[in-house]
Amino acid sequence: MSAWHYTLRDAKNALAHGFALLATAFGLFWLAWILWTTLHNGLAAIHPALFTQMTPPPGAAGGLRNALFGSVLMSLLGVLLGAPIGILAGTFLAEYARSSWLGGVVRFVNDILLSAPSIVLGLFVYTLVVARMGHFSALAGAISLAFIVLPVVVRTTDEMLRLVPAQMREAALSLGVPQWKVTAQVLYRAALPGIVTGILLALARISGETAPLLFTALNNQYWSTDLLAPMANVPVVIFQYAMSPYDDWHSLAWAGAFVLTLFVLLVGLAARAIVARHRISHD
Amino acid sequence: MQMSEQPHDHIVRGLDEEQQRLVGELLRMGEIAAAQLEASLDVVQRRDDKAAERIVANDEAIDLLEHEISRDVMRLALRGPLARDLREILAALRIASDIERIGDYAANVAKRSMSLNLTPPLPQVRGLAALGAVAVRQLRDVLDAYRDNDAEAAERIRARDAELDLQYTSLFRELLTYMMEDARSITPCTHLLFMAKNIERVGDHVTNIAENVWFRVRGDEVLSPRERRDATHAIRSPE
Amino acid sequence: MTNLARNTGMNDTVYTSVATPHSPALAPVPKQKLSARGLGFWYGKQQAIRDVDLDIHERQVTALIGPSGCGKSTLLRTFNRIYALYPGQVARGEILLDGLDILTPDYPLALLRSKIGMVFQKPVPFPMTIFENVAYGIRHHERLSRADMQQRVEGALRQAALWDEVKDKLKQSALSLSGGQQQRLCIARAVALRPDVLLLDEPTSALDPISTSRVEQLIAELKRDYTIVIVTHNMQQAARVSDYTAFMYLGDLIEHGSTDIIFSNPIKQQTEDYITGRFG
Repeated sequence: MSAWHYTLRDAKNALAHGFALLATAFGLFWLAWILWTTLHNGLAAIHPALFTQMTPPPGAAGGLRNALFGSVLMSLLGVLLGAPIGILAGTFLAEYARSSWLGGVVRFVNDILLSAPSIVLGLFVYTLVVARMGHFSALAGAISLAFIVLPVVVRTTDEMLRLVPAQMREAALSLGVPQWKVTAQVLYRAALPGIVTGILLALARISGETAPLLFTALNNQYWSTDLLAPMANVPVVIFQYAMSPYDDWHSLAWAGAFVLTLFVLLVGLAARAIVARHRISHD
Repeated sequence: MQMSEQPHDHIVRGLDEEQQRLVGELLRMGEIAAAQLEASLDVVQRRDDKAAERIVANDEAIDLLEHEISRDVMRLALRGPLARDLREILAALRIASDIERIGDYAANVAKRSMSLNLTPPLPQVRGLAALGAVAVRQLRDVLDAYRDNDAEAAERIRARDAELDLQYTSLFRELLTYMMEDARSITPCTHLLFMAKNIERVGDHVTNIAENVWFRVRGDEVLSPRERRDATHAIRSPE
Repeated sequence: MTNLARNTGMNDTVYTSVATPHSPALAPVPKQKLSARGLGFWYGKQQAIRDVDLDIHERQVTALIGPSGCGKSTLLRTFNRIYALYPGQVARGEILLDGLDILTPDYPLALLRSKIGMVFQKPVPFPMTIFENVAYGIRHHERLSRADMQQRVEGALRQAALWDEVKDKLKQSALSLSGGQQQRLCIARAVALRPDVLLLDEPTSALDPISTSRVEQLIAELKRDYTIVIVTHNMQQAARVSDYTAFMYLGDLIEHGSTDIIFSNPIKQQTEDYITGRFG
């Protein structure tokens, strides 16, 4: 093997490395631009009134108070509805149906739900809830968000529980403790960081979902805490205001986008922090 | 336990090679000891002082081999041997020690022959030669048994020591009688007695080796106690 | 030194020594705590254990040795029916614990698990405090006052030779302990239930040599109170630690008997080949 071969190899390596860097830079560039634009435009519209005043009619000054409240309420409700069912279903899959045909079917259906277009889910909830009730409502909005949370939590719980070493399960069982207790007291504790991360990621996802809310919660100009009435929410507000011809509505839309982005970023960081802390405490 | 078939090779081949080297060294050491014994008996017959000195000097070779074998055993022991392999090194250690003693006895016989040469030759020297020949035969046979892993042969050899003891006892009696008849022969006869005793001890060490061969092959099953025919302790002067 | 073979009348032979001027007699043949009779085991269609008859003697250490896939771990796991977790794994035959067959459905699983404890190859402390780890199993079986529980936990940790090292940090997470300590914690967790039998599945194969020695010392102490069955792939460990050894190969029990004899002069060629590293 002559030295020339090694030089060629090194050159190929450097070339590939270079291309990879370029591609990364390309992707990062657009990402940075989006973030910068959001920051730049949104920051200009950040002022305390954002959190104290309601969404205004065109021409007037205002804030996003009702929209922020509505988003927080419906997201939390969505998680509250979707996560427990998701955890239980995930536990079933991991503990009782690991290799059975039923488990396979459930996992498959879950995967479909996971990648279903959110607008389809919104439409589904529209038919199920809104049409029955006769009007839009925050509850319907929360339900549609729950349908997005559900498959994510099912999947994460299933995976995280399966990651718990079989020997830990066996060790607990060999103490004579019954299966359900082992799951509740030992396995959940062991898989908790992963499960919580899953929920956080679901939360981050639903905070930005617009399409389902369009069909279910719609929007509300005014302050409302009624679950059975339409409720304001940030994504739909951004949608409406951005499409409008009014400048002050535009700036509010940017502000909303900024707050949303910041929120998703914080949730993502929290999820990472949990995983990192958990990893450190192991040997 | 019936396991005298050739065992498989070790997975770690170095172990087989080291074991074989150990066996080879033991056999070489034994052959040197046998040759020394033969030579010392020969030297007694020929009354050759120079040759006797050479034999005494050669004993060092046996001692060196014993050290070598100790080192090899240590190296094998570090591998944590079990079962057959463990018995192998334990047996080797003991056998090496027995052969070393045999070498010493052979050198002693050669050394004493020089004292014997100061007096006129005795007729009993023939008896000694015969005794020695049996011992040499025993030694060579037991070495073959070791080489061949033959436990039955070892048992037979061990039993044959009784003959050696008988011959020794009768030589003892002969020498006593001779000493009583002629006081001038007391010194050479005493030397001859010691030499005969040395050869009888060689026989005992051969039986030790035989027992170790049995142990190496059969493990912990012990042989039945052997017949001892050395009755010299019971000889009293006729009154 | 003489050795006798004594037939116990059940087709297996137990070797003991009789007293001689040079070696004191061992205790008379101890009684059987756990016995497998005609035991067979299947992973689905594949048979992993074939017709095994084995006695585990009370308050003695029995080692199970053999090459990978021989069935020794499988055998161990039939003793506390932990295999029942997995569908398709089936055991047939009898396993008698103090004379009662534990393989029958009538024998309550919780009772079995309180009499037979298990320690695994990889130390698996629960994600709880050290105290909680030990107390966890006890809590499920017994209702103890706080003081009693503390005593029990301390007792178990002392038995596992871990008390001195953790007595000041009982409230810390068990995951903060070193590997060797974690394994001893798992042992403490098992002995906390006061079982009769301890099953150890290669307990030191994930540990460094010093931790291994500590655990071996522990086994020597524990055997005064517990019947111990240990699976190990380390021959020297089996020779050091056990009183009886059983050698398995491809699902069959090839030979079993007193450790001294198995490791100095086994009967079967296969056994000797395995022990001396003549085949894997």
